[in-house]
Amino acid sequence: MAWLSDWLRELILVVLMAAFVEMLLPGKSMERYARLVLSLLVLLTMLSPVISLLKGDASSELNLAMEQTQQGGFWSSGGDEGDSLQEILRQGQLLAAGTREESLKLAAGEVAGQMQEQITAATGVRGVNVTVALEVNHGSGGGDVPVISRVAVTLPGADGTSAVQPEEAAIGEAEAAAEEIRIEPVKPVQIQIGEAEAAEAEVREDGAGGNGGAADTAAEEQAESIIQLLSQNWNVERGRIEVKNIGSGAEKS
Amino acid sequence: MEIIQVVGIGLLSTVLILVLKEQKPVFAFLLTTAAGILIFLFLLGKIGTIMGSLERVAESSGMDMIYIKTVFKIIGISYIAEFGAQIVRDAGQDSIASKIELAGKVLIMVLAVPIISIIIETVMKLLPA
Repeated sequence: MAWLSDWLRELILVVLMAAFVEMLLPGKSMERYARLVLSLLVLLTMLSPVISLLKGDASSELNLAMEQTQQGGFWSSGGDEGDSLQEILRQGQLLAAGTREESLKLAAGEVAGQMQEQITAATGVRGVNVTVALEVNHGSGGGDVPVISRVAVTLPGADGTSAVQPEEAAIGEAEAAAEEIRIEPVKPVQIQIGEAEAAEAEVREDGAGGNGGAADTAAEEQAESIIQLLSQNWNVERGRIEVKNIGSGAEKS
Repeated sequence: MEIIQVVGIGLLSTVLILVLKEQKPVFAFLLTTAAGILIFLFLLGKIGTIMGSLERVAESSGMDMIYIKTVFKIIGISYIAEFGAQIVRDAGQDSIASKIELAGKVLIMVLAVPIISIIIETVMKLLPA
């Protein structure tokens, strides 16, 4: 019953106020108009339980409606409308750009996934990381055509594992630092100049260089095959494909 | 005893205006306006007292401020429009005075638009579709 007493109190107050205000009004000319608005207020107060049943709070509804009316001022209503239209159009463009960007991102993810599968199927290398960047090409027909602007393929190391994770590396370093540091005294340096040893060292270096060269060649071949595969299947220019091999550090584009 | 002051100001300005009107009608008009503004400003404090008490009563009884705001706007618009229209009418420009009154009426009706729209929407929702 609380709402009934609230409602009655509000109604009585509004009616009293309306009568009071009507006396306050200056001339006769405004009286009819002011009376109309006051009677509408009384009607609104009487209807407020129904309004709250149907639409929510009556006074907040009225507040909202008043604010909307106030926004377009007496003198500047036309200009404001133009501004708001501009604002709405600008926001629409922003929204459209955001949606396009989202869809491009989604498509790039899909394309990357398919490329990854193809590379795995063709070369048998697992754990290939493919990153695809798409951009919108404004076609001559007026339509916007998304094209692949860049493909970055990162091959895992030769033993099938990726490079050491940064976190693990950090932990390893920390452990090393925790160990006691021992520095042995510098031994007296002896220099011997002999031809036999020098020749041996040369041979060793040659051998190491030869092994590295072989690894590089294998990685390059793999990268080349991947580039060929992608450029054929996806019709992407070779210059836009970049293959990185973490294991050998080789890079090819 | 403020009423004596108001009547005094009114009588004095009337006599002066009558004297001035023969010599300089423009200055008589200025004096009319000044006297009107003076009395209006004199009453402004009293109107403020009434408004303040109304607002206090409404606040204490939990009445919505939007109703009070609307009513105050009505009072303000009608006072200002009436005051301006009377001054202009005294200067002999009846047509401009009626335009000012028209503006006051329209602005009061603009206040009614949100109320009318809410009432109409409610009634339309009450009716079976």
